[in-house]
Amino acid sequence: MKKVIAVFLVLLIITSIVFAKGAAETTARPEVVKLQVWYALSGTSGESFKSKAEAFDIARPDIELELTYSGKYADTATKVSAALLSGDAPDVAVMAAGQLYTGGRGDFSMEEFAKDPEFNISDVYPGMLEYGKFDGRLAAVPFGISTQVLYYNKTICNAAGIDLEKNPPKTWEELLTLAKIAVEKGNINKSSDFYGFDTSDGVWLIKSMFSQNGNPVVKKAGDTVVPVFNEASGVEVATFWKKMIDSGIMPAGQHNNAEKKFLAGNLAIIAASSNRISRWQGNTSFELGAIPMPKFSQNALALGGNVMVILSEDQFKKEAGWELVKHMLKEENQTDFALSTGYLPIRKSSQQNPKVQELFISNPLYKIAFEQLDYTWAYLHFSEMGTMDAMFWYALDEIEKAVLSPKAALDKAAASLIKEME
Amino acid sequence: MKRMIKSNNPYRKILFGKEYETAQLRAAVVLLIPSFLAILVLFILPVVQVVLYSFTNYNLTTGVKDFNGLTNYKFILTDNQFHKALRNTFVFATGKLVIDTSLALIIALMLDARVPFKRYLRGAFFAPVVVPVVASSLIWIWFYDPGIGPFNQILEALSLPKSQWLYHENTALLSILIFSIWKGIGYNIILFLAGLQNIPDSYIQAAEVDGATGWQVLFKIKLPLLRPIISFVVMIGIINTFKVFAEINVMTPKGGPLYSTALMVVYIYEQAFTKGKMGRACAAAIALFIIIFILTMIQNKLDTKKSISLE
Amino acid sequence: MKKKLHKVNKPVLLVLLLGSLLMIFPFVWVVLSSFKTVADVYAYPPKWLPSSWKFSNYATVFEMIPFARYYVNSIYTSVMQTALQLGISVTAAYALVVLDFPGKKILFSVVRSTMFVPTIVILIPMYLMVSKVHLIDTYAGIILPQIFTAFTIFLLVSFFRSIPHDLYDSAKLDGCGYYRILSHVVIPNASSAISTAMLFSFLGHWKSYTWPLIVTNKQQYRTLPIGMKYLVQESSSEYQVMMAASVMAILPVLIVFMIFEKQLVKSITLTGLKA
Repeated sequence: MKKVIAVFLVLLIITSIVFAKGAAETTARPEVVKLQVWYALSGTSGESFKSKAEAFDIARPDIELELTYSGKYADTATKVSAALLSGDAPDVAVMAAGQLYTGGRGDFSMEEFAKDPEFNISDVYPGMLEYGKFDGRLAAVPFGISTQVLYYNKTICNAAGIDLEKNPPKTWEELLTLAKIAVEKGNINKSSDFYGFDTSDGVWLIKSMFSQNGNPVVKKAGDTVVPVFNEASGVEVATFWKKMIDSGIMPAGQHNNAEKKFLAGNLAIIAASSNRISRWQGNTSFELGAIPMPKFSQNALALGGNVMVILSEDQFKKEAGWELVKHMLKEENQTDFALSTGYLPIRKSSQQNPKVQELFISNPLYKIAFEQLDYTWAYLHFSEMGTMDAMFWYALDEIEKAVLSPKAALDKAAASLIKEME
Repeated sequence: MKRMIKSNNPYRKILFGKEYETAQLRAAVVLLIPSFLAILVLFILPVVQVVLYSFTNYNLTTGVKDFNGLTNYKFILTDNQFHKALRNTFVFATGKLVIDTSLALIIALMLDARVPFKRYLRGAFFAPVVVPVVASSLIWIWFYDPGIGPFNQILEALSLPKSQWLYHENTALLSILIFSIWKGIGYNIILFLAGLQNIPDSYIQAAEVDGATGWQVLFKIKLPLLRPIISFVVMIGIINTFKVFAEINVMTPKGGPLYSTALMVVYIYEQAFTKGKMGRACAAAIALFIIIFILTMIQNKLDTKKSISLE
Repeated sequence: MKKKLHKVNKPVLLVLLLGSLLMIFPFVWVVLSSFKTVADVYAYPPKWLPSSWKFSNYATVFEMIPFARYYVNSIYTSVMQTALQLGISVTAAYALVVLDFPGKKILFSVVRSTMFVPTIVILIPMYLMVSKVHLIDTYAGIILPQIFTAFTIFLLVSFFRSIPHDLYDSAKLDGCGYYRILSHVVIPNASSAISTAMLFSFLGHWKSYTWPLIVTNKQQYRTLPIGMKYLVQESSSEYQVMMAASVMAILPVLIVFMIFEKQLVKSITLTGLKA
């Protein structure tokens, strides 16, 4: 028995060494800079990114890329944090904007690089640039940006006698009224679980709504960041949110299930990411429609999505990384990426792109996301923004289930946030 | 046993001389070296680090690592969510432990009886253990869907009220519990079965010849002989219930409706990876560690008490 | 000695059959769903049978993720981990049960206390350690940190304890050293227990998720559970493809279970000492 064990051990050690050697990186020669690129994009988005990166690799013999899909946003964020701690971080990453790299570590500023004339920074929508900033410095470049869009089930709406295309709701109150009608008359499946409106990402939506009511969510006060979402303008928004639940158009605490409900034909209208266009188009059992998001008192939409970051400390890798970033953000590349996936183009010049014009005609759904570009907005990114999102989640839960009043819930979230920041 | 042999065995010298003892020590050292190394590197070292980190403000996102004394511990002891997580964990653990052990025992006893199709039955009860957690969690999310899921469909057919299952704070934890039991009970059943098979037929036949009824055989022979297995299952059960995580993360992300399915592990994960507060997560982890330790100590004491009384 | 079956316990059988249906119906659902079309998946009321049998779902799995590679990785890592783990556990359990040496009780408690440590607690320190020795994204990095579980050791301890001391003593009288006792007395007599331990060990490693997730960044080292997770993200509305992947992921373990089942139920005769 001992012999068997010994043999196994030896086998394992040999195989591990063999495999480990295979995985070890060869030292980089200065003539060819090797970049480790991680991207948090899957499906069509991932493929689109990958093919463009590979094209760059071929066109630039002096730069070699190793591309890895590192999982969804949350997983990638965890991996990158862990990797930063151990020094194994990738050189370039495409990941969700967050406190992680965006300056949480102090120094991934791209301000200098962004001055590159080839990059043409003035062509980028200012709201989008804000999204890549941390503490006022440009720390990342917006890449796969999205906003929420209002999708609706045309079949249900027709049955309820409302035409959202002809008479889209301009404000949330109008949406409420229309959703009520949908609930009363649109239950074609005779389901006991039928609703008029929901969103798959409540936190995202309420941030947009805060901004629409003139509330910037947080603001800088000297050296620290303070929450302002629990001021009167914020409480107004939360009160309306509760109204949506009380009027029966939105179920309480079921945002995780919203997309499934919509696809099953039991939800009339849903606010979801613009990148669902590429996924849902042609895959629904009903006719899919899309309209711009309504407003509170003004138009504003919180941005979501991913950005490109350069994490390497090595001078040559940084420069090579910047070349990759520039390539991916060239108007034709970024627009192409956006069009195939439902993300938004970040450059104003993309509106003139003939492909874009063509697409608007052939697929009007894409047009909706583009129409909203002018009022995209990003709140101030700070070190506890991830925690703040979690607070909002709990607050919404408490408001929807009437455990706390809207004001109390927001106050509690603000207090917890301040406590976390100590 | 040693005493017995010592007193009347003529081969005492061979079995209990000094050579005997050093030979044992040598063999023990050789055989235990791999385990010892493994424990040192894989457990002791990391745990020491976790203890150290718990006294710092180690932050995953900013990388700072400064000593801050008992701040983390103070925070979690006053944190409402920590209390909720603690409560949820105890409720869940008790339910799971009691049902997992007793139900598994009953089923194992039934499977050991005179029934055909044993192979199929054993396979059927063990099958859920084999299905990967991600896949089975997703299936059950579908089953639990309030609108289009089969569970509510069945309830409706039986004229019973429908449930919100995973989406309501009163039923979410129960839903996870049912899933967890379905998934894990096969393990215990197999363990009990192996134990039952270990009981030689001769014992049972001898008892039957003496006129014992089925119930007497059960309580006087089978259960006592299963004692070591039962205590093993309970001990493992305690530890495993505190480790349940994957299914909760998939079925009720972010701690579930009104934080009702947040167990300690979920709380730790959230602090560490969502909020980046490694220091605090380590403090919570140490708290969890202590709780599990105390519980198994209690279980151990109860166990030794019982076995003494039996002899 | 096989039990005579002329007196079938009917009520018990009925209860067991019903129970078994409860246990396997999700499994049936998975298999049926793996052949469904997208429309079937979202249909209400829920459909049990597919409207048309799409075998192509299985092929789609391989298109979406490098399933074959993940499969091979899982098999390799699981087998290696099980082998190593068994080696460590059998020797340790033997030493703890049969041998007597100073510090035995302490060691016992130490081994026991390692069970209290949930993976999540030591995840980050382990990750940092592994990356310092450059074992991230390597098979060794996946395998080595998972070869010690007190569970296996204690399982074997429980079973080894049931071997009567007489067997050891007569072996010693025959002149066996401690290693011989292990190979000739303990292992043959506890084969059922070792098979059980091997089965559980393999199963645990096959499903292992958290550690491989964090220690692998590159596609070619990922194991099946992680691959499944990514499939979920890729195909969030293609439920039926996920089900096809699940069926393929479940099969090896079921097969392993079928093979070892016989040994699991072999009874050990305690009457008569083996020479």
